[in-house]
Amino acid sequence: MTEPRIDIRHLTRRLPSGGRELTILDGVDLRIEAGEFVAVLGPSGSGKSTLLALMAGLDRPTEGEIRLDGRPIENLSEDELAILRRERIGFVFQSFQLLGNLTARENILLPLELIGAPEAKTRADELLAAVGLSDRGHHYPTQLSGGEQQRVALARAFATRPPILLADEPTGNLDGTTGRKILEILVDLRNRYGTTLVLVTHDPAVAALAGRRIHLHDGRIEREERSEVGDVRSDAPSDVTHAPEMAATSGAPA
Amino acid sequence: MKLRTLSTWMLRESRGAAGRFAFFVACLAVGVAAVVAVAGLAAGLDEGIRTEARQLLAADLAIEGSHPLPAGFDLAKFLPAGTRRADLREMVTVVAAPPQGGRPGRSQLVQLKVVSGGYPFYGRVETTPNRPLAELLAPETAVVAPELLGALGLKRGDRLKIGGADFRIAGTVAAESDRVSLGAAFGPRVFLAATGLDRAGLIGKGSRVSHRELLALPPGFPPAQLDALAERLRNALPPGRMYRVETYRQAQPELRENLKRVGRFLGLVALLSLFVGGIGVAQSVRAWLAGRLDAIAVLKCLGLRPREVLALYLSQTALLGLAGSLLGILLGAAVQAAIPRLFGDLIPAALIRPWQPGALLRGLLLGVGVALLFSLPPLAGLLRVPPARVLRRDAEPLPVHRATVAVALLALAGGLYALTYAQSASWLQSAQFVGALAGAAGALALASWLVTRAIARLPRFSSVALRHGLGALARPGAATLGAIVALGLGVLTVLSMSLVERRLSRELGRELPVNAPTAFLVDVQPDQWPGVHALLQKAGALKVDSVPVVMARLHSIDGHTVDELTRERGPEGGPDEDRGRRSGEDRGRRSGGDRGDRNERSRRWALGREQRLTYMATLPKDNVVVAGKLWSDPQRAEVSLEKSFAEDLGVGLGSTLAFDIQGVPVDLVVTSLRTVDWSTFGINFYLIVEPGVLETAPQQRLAAVRLAPGSEQRVQDLLAAGYPNVTLLRIREILEKILRVLHRIGLAVRFLGGFTVVSGIAILAGAISAGSVRRGREVALLKTLGMTRRQVATAFAVEYALIGLVAGAIGAASGAFLTWGLITRGFELPWEPEPRTLALSVVGAIVLSIAAGLAASVRSLQRRPIEVLRAE
Repeated sequence: MTEPRIDIRHLTRRLPSGGRELTILDGVDLRIEAGEFVAVLGPSGSGKSTLLALMAGLDRPTEGEIRLDGRPIENLSEDELAILRRERIGFVFQSFQLLGNLTARENILLPLELIGAPEAKTRADELLAAVGLSDRGHHYPTQLSGGEQQRVALARAFATRPPILLADEPTGNLDGTTGRKILEILVDLRNRYGTTLVLVTHDPAVAALAGRRIHLHDGRIEREERSEVGDVRSDAPSDVTHAPEMAATSGAPA
Repeated sequence: MKLRTLSTWMLRESRGAAGRFAFFVACLAVGVAAVVAVAGLAAGLDEGIRTEARQLLAADLAIEGSHPLPAGFDLAKFLPAGTRRADLREMVTVVAAPPQGGRPGRSQLVQLKVVSGGYPFYGRVETTPNRPLAELLAPETAVVAPELLGALGLKRGDRLKIGGADFRIAGTVAAESDRVSLGAAFGPRVFLAATGLDRAGLIGKGSRVSHRELLALPPGFPPAQLDALAERLRNALPPGRMYRVETYRQAQPELRENLKRVGRFLGLVALLSLFVGGIGVAQSVRAWLAGRLDAIAVLKCLGLRPREVLALYLSQTALLGLAGSLLGILLGAAVQAAIPRLFGDLIPAALIRPWQPGALLRGLLLGVGVALLFSLPPLAGLLRVPPARVLRRDAEPLPVHRATVAVALLALAGGLYALTYAQSASWLQSAQFVGALAGAAGALALASWLVTRAIARLPRFSSVALRHGLGALARPGAATLGAIVALGLGVLTVLSMSLVERRLSRELGRELPVNAPTAFLVDVQPDQWPGVHALLQKAGALKVDSVPVVMARLHSIDGHTVDELTRERGPEGGPDEDRGRRSGEDRGRRSGGDRGDRNERSRRWALGREQRLTYMATLPKDNVVVAGKLWSDPQRAEVSLEKSFAEDLGVGLGSTLAFDIQGVPVDLVVTSLRTVDWSTFGINFYLIVEPGVLETAPQQRLAAVRLAPGSEQRVQDLLAAGYPNVTLLRIREILEKILRVLHRIGLAVRFLGGFTVVSGIAILAGAISAGSVRRGREVALLKTLGMTRRQVATAFAVEYALIGLVAGAIGAASGAFLTWGLITRGFELPWEPEPRTLALSVVGAIVLSIAAGLAASVRSLQRRPIEVLRAE
């Protein structure tokens, strides 16, 4: 049996807050197989983003264990974690997090340069084309609309074809139409590269695209749902207009 | 990370940071400019002196002394065939214009230079008419400086009275390449031929003459053997007579040593402004990184290792440091180019060589060093940026090893020490400098911390502007600390420099003590004295004191000859020429300086000098016997010694000093030691002999007179007419000359200190504009809440005024403390508080601070509130 891509065991994160300890995550167990598309749902403060940060080694657990492809990461040094991220993890954020002093194309080049990828420039141009921004590569983030910035962020996240992609409310700062377009591209790229995708959202309509939905509440997994959509191995429809119909099944609070 | 990737990223990182970088570069450039200007000037002068050494000496080799070469000393026997010789004599005397209508002509103190032979062998004497000096000088002619013609109302071709003879002014002299004097010259130059000096009849009456034998070696003489030749001459000349043998290859060792000392001191002042600039660098790096925190978190998130982030920003800083240093080098060279204008009459322009590679390199290294050192602490903070910031803005900073912080601080301290050593070349001085700097910076930091703490506890004021302005200072994270430290150091430097200079100027410019003489008469022959005395009385002299002076040489102490003692005490070091030429009496050898070196020189000087003895029954009032008893031994001839002079000689009560008084041996036993209050300006001697010993010895009289203000020139004119060999030295005139030089040096130091203030102000402005985003938000909010623009500006002004107040007050207090130490310990003068200057510097700091602060906040004040709030 192959190791799960992400294996989380009894994950707990507590933070000091005003002299007391605040429990953000409380004994979470979660296995995510390679190629899965998992949505993490929950109200604000439920621990969604912290879970994501811990998976990427951006934060350290108070207790518990995280294994990526069987390798425990909680005791890795900052340097080892950095190498792990550059080689294996892509990110998409709610606030895009493009570097303001770099052009769109340079933002996409960044992770490629970091791993010393050959033909980085060609690859960046291909990705620009894939997200439909071939003619805007020389623009700076401030010269792009929100949707365009998030497309650049998507291209950057997929640039090194990481096996894992972590997305934190990728449509949270976008209007409905733009958000749907972004999701379409995200799902399309994921399908193309077979990426394991963990997507944090509080929007059931967005979560409906995933094959598996984890509901977090007060730092615990409240419940879990599965559906046939969103699985890479199934022929997932890339047409996101189906999404609202499926939202009804989630039942999670928005 | 590959170098190429690093450089690409560095270029990208600098986008949009032009303003910040400009500030960084400016902070550094100002300090580097100061360092380069000082180092360049010092090195340039040194090079100038070395390359012009032959011209400055006017010979290959010179033998100097206060005596002619000893009779029977066969110089020629040491010299290769074909050596040319020239004899130079210099002395101070008074010359006068011919009488007009029965009244004596106007007189003037001059520096007489008597030349013979082929002088100058190297360099030139520029004369009008443009002919060789030897052609212009005849037994009855003189060549004089143009200033003398102006002072006496004469023109070329007129007659001039020198000593007992009349001379025709055959030409004027504009420049002599061998006249370098950084001090005050005694008067305009007058050239005479040796035969002319004989006519003037000034020699042989006890006048103080300095002799120089100039030698030009034959063309084939190997330069490498010059020093050996000089050494042979040194060994052959009697050491007790203090002859000095100098070659052009040594190139004015004393002048250069003095310049080096001045250069090191100014170098430290310049370094201070560079360090203050360093605070600005630290601040701009901190502000720059604060704006990049999100980007750094993203980079870390994308997989950049902490050390790669550090490398990225460290190399960026180094590059900026390089840019700032290069700009500073250009500025420093420009300042150097302006120096000949400022100091043209002190330093010949031909001696200043800007573009000293060494100075430029020094500026570059110090600049980059300061940039890196001061950036280290803020850059170390990079390690703490949590990548989780991309998800949560309030993610806690990563823990950092205490060791990292300690290493950064240690590197800063050690680095500063090393840089200071590079400037001062003295471990002790560096330690003192860095210690004092750390102390002052610490005091300033502590004060600003206390003030912010105190404000937070203050009861609330009713004025909105006052309340808000004070509150802004106390707010956590306000960037006031750096600004206060920088501005305070600036105030400290400028204030203490100007306090020292003002104090010294006052001391020198002070009205002479009541009853103090205003002039000295030297070289009066005993038979002239009744006439001179009558003349002084007739001219209305308020007080006349006179004593006999007997010139002598010390031959041995307790049976050990001076030659032996001199050799025992080490062969190095020459006589301090200035000391040998004091104005007729033995005064003022006390001042600070390198003690060890100075002590050794003092001893050699005390042994070898031309000793001036006087005799009297009772001591003047300003003398106090501190050991032994005056004239207590009826059996032996006694001498009373000034205490510090006795220490220099290494003698005590009971020692026997054997003198040679113009060929006659006289033994004197020390029976008392005295202290002397030199500040009374009375006539005082190191050596006073009991009456009945020297009365028949060849002697002259020294007189101190108090003349009514304004009558000095007339007395000098009358003396010059009746007693041409008598020289009148006017104390006021001499003091004024020293004052002028002091003022000029003070100006240079304050100019350098000004760099520090400029840096401090720039840093304050930088700190304020660094917070402009926050400030803009604040203004918008205040305006939205109904505060007028005027009220907001007032609130800001209160905040900046307080920064200025704290910086000014602490800076002024530590400046005053430093000055107090220098004045009372270094110069041994009583301390005089200057509350007005202190208050003025505090007010100045406040005004500058408000001006710089408001100027830096103009943009935030002008923006409309909605622009800012919308951008939120």
